Amino acid sequence: MKKLKFIYENGPHKWAVVARDPEKPGYLIDTNEYLVLNGSEALLADPGGMEIFSAVFSAISAEIDPYTIRYLFASHQDPDIISSLALWLNFNPDLKCYLSWLWGSFIPHFGGTAETFIAIPDEGMSISLGGLMLEAVPAHYLHSSGNFNLYDRKAKILFSGDVGAALLPPEENGLFVENFDRHIRHARDFHRRWMGSNAAKLNWCERVSRLDIDMLCPQHGAIYRGEDVKRFIDWFAALEVGSGIRE
Amino acid sequence: MEEIRGNSHAADLRRVVKANEDIKKVIRISSGVNLVALNAMLIAKRSGERSRGFAVVSSELRVFSHKLDGAMSGLGTLIFELVSDAAAMQKQRQEHGHLLAIVAQGKRMRELVAPALARVDERISGTVQEIGRDWQKLSLQLNRVLQLCETGGSLARSAKIEAVYGGDMSNILKQVASRIEETVNEIFSTLKLLRTQLAE
Repeated sequence: MKKLKFIYENGPHKWAVVARDPEKPGYLIDTNEYLVLNGSEALLADPGGMEIFSAVFSAISAEIDPYTIRYLFASHQDPDIISSLALWLNFNPDLKCYLSWLWGSFIPHFGGTAETFIAIPDEGMSISLGGLMLEAVPAHYLHSSGNFNLYDRKAKILFSGDVGAALLPPEENGLFVENFDRHIRHARDFHRRWMGSNAAKLNWCERVSRLDIDMLCPQHGAIYRGEDVKRFIDWFAALEVGSGIRE
Repeated sequence: MEEIRGNSHAADLRRVVKANEDIKKVIRISSGVNLVALNAMLIAKRSGERSRGFAVVSSELRVFSHKLDGAMSGLGTLIFELVSDAAAMQKQRQEHGHLLAIVAQGKRMRELVAPALARVDERISGTVQEIGRDWQKLSLQLNRVLQLCETGGSLARSAKIEAVYGGDMSNILKQVASRIEETVNEIFSTLKLLRTQLAE
């Protein structure tokens, strides 16, 4: 069963994660959905696939009023990211969805109308959530060709989408990375295969290493905290990507 | 089957979400009862022999608050299941809608998708029954909590009466008893309203 857990709380400004589900069917990739709250407004980052809509919706509703969700943020176009869109819009047709301009005519195959989407330009943009400014940080080609992370300067949290993802075995179900060396073994093959561009990777590492980050939150696997954030960026910078084809 | 088609499902989820918010509110309020009841016991202990009656009632209030905790936890579990099932229904309704759009294109298309439509209808039917059972269980639990609140209300009124005999602690005891009564009344009225809404 998916459960919502708060990972940052500062008055009305909060971050929560609907963390991986140990009971989900093995044929579905496990995902984390992140909720940014600021007072009476919330943004749901990578709301997930249609198969897990019920689990995500009920986990969120157990803690907060789902009507506070005003915005969805889709890091990219994959089904595990945003195929639940139509179901969210059935519940609340006024929801707005931020996503790369590149996918503006692709994502509507999952649902929504021209009014639903707010296109993010390649260079990124600021997103206001009840006065709190979030930043859509470009992460193109990591792995999608139109891809964004979401940075909260005040909370020092970077939602990094597929960057930092790890395909963990069921017994390693902790919310946070506790042993970097052991954890990163489960991230290596994913990054080598899903990330296609070394140039894009180095560009991302250079920009992100300049941000003040306490937590780096991927869509799959555990959250990196404190020193592990820098460890991850250094590890990623050194990794040869676009090289993971099985022989 | 007609009632589960069209926009009624989305409305169902909204209705469930509204009930969920009311129940969460009541659970938040009820979590305070335990603390107030404990406070009542401590004050009664401090005031000694003069508030013996109040001590007995406050001890009963502690028992009541524990029962209320258990009942609220049951209510929380049931509404969670209901939200989950109602959300699952959204997906089935979407599949149903796609198939109906094909059916609308004519006899041949209707025949083509008939087996698929039957499968989706069967799944929807199962979920509708599940949701019906969820509502029923929730309704029963609501009635149990309401009965419990009636007991709590009686205890709070008894505490108010006993507070009068508390000598120089009388005012504090009255305040504590009133606080319990207010909390129980708030839970009671919210749940009663919810029960009426559910019956509509």
